Amino acid sequence: MKPWLALLLLPCLAVAQEDDPWADEDWGDDEWADEDQGMVWSGFVEGALGTRFSEDPLVNQRETLGDLRARIETEWQPENLTVGLKADVGYDAVESEWIGELRDLSVSFSRGKLDAKVGRQVQTWGTGDLLFLNDLFPKDFVSFFAGRDDEYLKAPGDAVRATWYNDTVNADFVWTPIFEPDVYLNGERFSFFFPLAGGNVAPEPPLRAECPDKDFSNGEFALRLFKTVRGREYAFYAYRGFFKQPSALTPDLRPTFAPLNAYGASLRRPAGPGLFNAEASYYDSRDDRSGTDPFTPNDQLRLLAGYEWEAKPSFTVGFQYYLEWTLDHDDLIANSPFPEFEPDERRHVLTNRLTYRTGRDRYTWSMFTFLSPSDRDFYIRPSLTWRYSDEWTFTAGANLFGGDEPQTFFNQLADASNIYLRVRFNY
Amino acid sequence: MRTLLTVTSLILALPSFAADALTDADEIVTNANLASYYAGADGRSEVRMIITDSQGRQQRRQFTVLRRNVEEAGDQQFLVVFSQPSDVRNTVFLVDKHLERDDDRWLYLPGLDLVKRISAGDKRTSFVGAHYFYEDVSGRRPSDDEHVLVETTDDYYVLDHTPKDAGTVEFASYTTWVDRQTFLPMKIEYRNAAGDVYRRVEVTGVEEFDGHPTVTTSRVSDLQTGGKTDMQFRFIKYDVGLPEDVFTERSLRSPPREWLARPKD
Repeated sequence: MKPWLALLLLPCLAVAQEDDPWADEDWGDDEWADEDQGMVWSGFVEGALGTRFSEDPLVNQRETLGDLRARIETEWQPENLTVGLKADVGYDAVESEWIGELRDLSVSFSRGKLDAKVGRQVQTWGTGDLLFLNDLFPKDFVSFFAGRDDEYLKAPGDAVRATWYNDTVNADFVWTPIFEPDVYLNGERFSFFFPLAGGNVAPEPPLRAECPDKDFSNGEFALRLFKTVRGREYAFYAYRGFFKQPSALTPDLRPTFAPLNAYGASLRRPAGPGLFNAEASYYDSRDDRSGTDPFTPNDQLRLLAGYEWEAKPSFTVGFQYYLEWTLDHDDLIANSPFPEFEPDERRHVLTNRLTYRTGRDRYTWSMFTFLSPSDRDFYIRPSLTWRYSDEWTFTAGANLFGGDEPQTFFNQLADASNIYLRVRFNY
Repeated sequence: MRTLLTVTSLILALPSFAADALTDADEIVTNANLASYYAGADGRSEVRMIITDSQGRQQRRQFTVLRRNVEEAGDQQFLVVFSQPSDVRNTVFLVDKHLERDDDRWLYLPGLDLVKRISAGDKRTSFVGAHYFYEDVSGRRPSDDEHVLVETTDDYYVLDHTPKDAGTVEFASYTTWVDRQTFLPMKIEYRNAAGDVYRRVEVTGVEEFDGHPTVTTSRVSDLQTGGKTDMQFRFIKYDVGLPEDVFTERSLRSPPREWLARPKD
């Protein structure tokens, strides 16, 4: 076709498309036409940069985020099985190492009322919004504080999950044969408070907490019984494993994970114009039930209540109150070599989430605030996500920490306050 | 008027439906609600949307909808499973629609394995970035509005609707053109307080499936910004026998492959 002819035809073509938007069937694949959808590969490529507002004298680089990563995701369904794969590869310029993370490599199947998923997987339960009581699945706080996508707060674990659906009550059982801790602060990206040093440290090489022996008897068992009755979601939880943070010390003063049993319950229900949630969990620190061992965390009672509603169209507001109540606190203080650094008997945390979506969800303005009146510290997470197209998404945000005392959870990160930018291309 | 219509239709030998023109607005709305949202005891459909913004930039969505009537013209259940674009693939949306209380709605985000609950107010906001609202997907309760039949044309019942609780919606009123034969609302125009039409929903294609006239293409236009969303339904089937337990938390984590698969015939 001669170019000028194309120019003449162009307006006609445009009109034709205007009349029938479905004439242009460019959907990138043939899913619509072909019944057998086969394996679909998808994922994204993402670049992310973040930097501190000020220097951390203990960490020699200012950058807090420097990722270039590619996500590969697919699903394969032979017979009645589903094999899932979700993997990230790339380079992390802050830790100067290659990224190779399997977020999912699992086999799922259903038999009658039973669903099972075996392999590497990300798991979540409980009612808290960025507060976790009965959800003792691994979390990656380093990614969270550095400004990676929220998805990375949940770290994958190797587990067997079996869920039995039933009219009486549903039961969810997760066995993680080898203990999977949180990704904790280790001094590589962010320094952290260490009581023995009386201040923040950034050990070189980075801290590696002593893990329980890789023994089946040290596996994690998590159980959830749940049921929804007339829109009210009830759940009961039990857990046997370890504290997910290295909050204990070995006799030779190395950080480690104390044995933990946890029992809890939660409720989520509509109330007024919004949703109310409440959750409780009792942490039974198996090695220090009397609370007299200063190197092992005490028993705790954790309580949460929250409410979320749409205050205006596309503007959602949420509040939570959270209490971390350390039991036998007198014994802890009496036996501690550093009573001034021990947690308050009652640690109160208030959170607020504001989400405002504009331009038909193209722009998401978000701010999440943690504020602890008892610790007198805070953590604020503002962000703006611009979904430019189905392919391109831009996110800018910040992680702001502050407070009064060096040992509190959020204020230990005061020098980690950072700003970040992420650009993602979905394919 | 009714006599006149009857006589006229006899003379012109119009189809019988024209003879029985309804005059009760509530009855027409009830029929329209049944035709739009309750065809069959249950149903499945695959849906595509092209979202075009005021600058002509396009986004796409593709999903499968399963729907089950708990009771005729009453409570319903919806399961929406996304397949495109890639950043929402495997996201699942579950609705327990109630007439007597607020709907229960959940969203499953696979990246976090998170079952997120959506608060009740969030209805007249964009459904996954489209010009369609959440409420357009599962239907607005007829009892939320006052209905007036303003005109009966050869083809349409024209009705005006005003919300009983104006504080919960962005419109002041809307007008529907309900097809007299199929009872499908073929056009809906939403007016703001100034009386200007700012939003229009049009049905551009109707086909019959399993005896039920069904919308196959529609468009919603934002007349203020010039954006629009086109929606296309395919692989529609009714009375497939969806069991109640398809519409539970189980389907959020493991979507029911058996029922999501395209019908063979």
